[in-house]
Amino acid sequence: MATVFMKWLETTPGGYDRGIQLLTLGRLTPLKERIAADYVRPGDGSTELAEVRVLEIGCGTGTLALMMAQRGATVVGIDSSPLMLAEARRKVAAERLDDRVTLMEMDASLLTDHFAPDSFDVIVATLVFSELSEDERRFVLDECRTLLAPGGRLIVADEVVPDGLGARLLFYVVRLPLALVTWLLTRTTTHPLPRLPQELAAAGFRAESVASFLGTSLQLFVARSAAEVEAAPVRQFPRLRHRVTLRTLLTDLWALFFRIIPPYPKVRPGLYTVGQPGPDSPVLVTGNFDLTVRRLVQAIDGRVDTWLLVADSAGINVWCAAGGGYFTAEKVISAVKSSHVAEVVRHHALILPQLCANGVDGWRIRRETGWGVHWGPVRARDLPAYLAAGRVKTDAMRWVRFPLKDRLEMVTVTLGFYGLLILLPVLIFWRGLFWPITASLVGLSYFYAVVHPWLPGRDGLLKSIPLTLIALAGLLAYTWLWNPLPLPRLFNWTVGLIGLSVFTGAELQGMSPLMRGEQANWGWEATIGAILGLIYWLVPLALGWR
Amino acid sequence: MPEKLSFWSSLAEHWRIARTLRGLQIHFYPEKCTGVWQCYEVCPIGCWTPDREARKAIFHDGYRCIACGACVLQCPEGAIELTV
Repeated sequence: MATVFMKWLETTPGGYDRGIQLLTLGRLTPLKERIAADYVRPGDGSTELAEVRVLEIGCGTGTLALMMAQRGATVVGIDSSPLMLAEARRKVAAERLDDRVTLMEMDASLLTDHFAPDSFDVIVATLVFSELSEDERRFVLDECRTLLAPGGRLIVADEVVPDGLGARLLFYVVRLPLALVTWLLTRTTTHPLPRLPQELAAAGFRAESVASFLGTSLQLFVARSAAEVEAAPVRQFPRLRHRVTLRTLLTDLWALFFRIIPPYPKVRPGLYTVGQPGPDSPVLVTGNFDLTVRRLVQAIDGRVDTWLLVADSAGINVWCAAGGGYFTAEKVISAVKSSHVAEVVRHHALILPQLCANGVDGWRIRRETGWGVHWGPVRARDLPAYLAAGRVKTDAMRWVRFPLKDRLEMVTVTLGFYGLLILLPVLIFWRGLFWPITASLVGLSYFYAVVHPWLPGRDGLLKSIPLTLIALAGLLAYTWLWNPLPLPRLFNWTVGLIGLSVFTGAELQGMSPLMRGEQANWGWEATIGAILGLIYWLVPLALGWR
Repeated sequence: MPEKLSFWSSLAEHWRIARTLRGLQIHFYPEKCTGVWQCYEVCPIGCWTPDREARKAIFHDGYRCIACGACVLQCPEGAIELTV
């Protein structure tokens, strides 16, 4: 409906902005803001780009020209209405942007007479083409192709007759009374464009993206020279979706029990899509552990449209791979360069998982690639909120906690592997002890998971001391109150429980990212194990029990 | 005997690494800090918070620090060191 009142509004430029705003139900200003934000300064400000040269055909009162100039573009605005231009001049002067905005009273058909070919990076025309005759449009589109520099874009926002019978019917029903009023006031009318996409194509443009506002009647076309688009190699990027299949179930089962044993399930490094990302969608970076990628996709698929750049982390999760030197700035730089991600997005912002900051040098990536590095949230499930807030991270997204749910999950996963390691030999060699030992291991592990935050000590090894004391107290209570054990058996159980407690305490803590240098514990565990073995062997010999 | 030697020397190496890891501590030089707060951005524990008025970072809770080294790596000014 936007252009219906325009003839009338053009005679009263002071009220023009307010009138247009009213007619487009307030959507025109956001549309103009979006054009200015998207096409004037690509990137996130972290890299210096050459000044963008903009031509606005039919600049009217200069709203969009000002928005673009404020973002650092040099703008030439032409309009055929001196009244409109006077209002635009007043606004430009008020903003002190005279050096960036040049306003000229000129008809669009004179453009190639006044400007050299390749003079502009962006040509924009909002609510202008529907004012022109078909011949005029063809002529102006030809001019635009001449004036656009290589890589330049033509942006057209205009009233378009929608496709589809129902939408078209509604369009005419709503339009008729407005057209009548306009005719009565101004004796002219406008001509919503019936076939702009075809006209763009005939003039040698190819639409890159089309967005609709107000249902489908107000549309935004962004087009590039078709010859250029065809010369550029067409790249296809595989789309990742959240799916549960037999393969993922088997991979999960394998990872559950044997995740320590390489080879780890991997994803081929490269650029992927999640949802339907466009040139302004965020670029997320992650490692190529199969489970990492699948969990990430599960968290964001259907919620946000993003590019996903998978870098080689040797099939290890990002925290461990970065800590162990497998996931580095070099791997990310290599992924950025080799995936040609710069060709599909207009910005230069990478979002890296926060938990790879212990090994991926962000400043090296910034220096070498010119891309900005942003540390995303710790957990993939916080990504939609983080992106919606404009890459703003709350402390809850930034700090790792080890809540009960995570602890129980970790204990279960850990028991899967260590249970197999310990219980299988027990089942083979000491069948009679299988169930008591299984019960002790499982009981101790879950008990530890629950009381973990309240046990004193910073790391698992220290926490295993109170755990041992509690286990031994339980043993004493059992033998005293319920079932008195003979001394040799009591001794065996004491040695066994100390061993299990130290093992449980030290190993389970290593599952959380809240522990310092897990490696430090192996030596202690082995030493304590050896001493316990020695005691188990020597004491009965000395006391003559055996 | 070379196998045995390498076993004992690797055991010694293991203990050396273990001792180093346990003893690591953050040393912060506030005078070098320019308030970029990358440390706050990347610390998973919450050892760093921004002092917005002074445009400096504040380090606290060295006890809970897990010595992951993220703040050291991401500090553009070299104001953070991880030493024994």
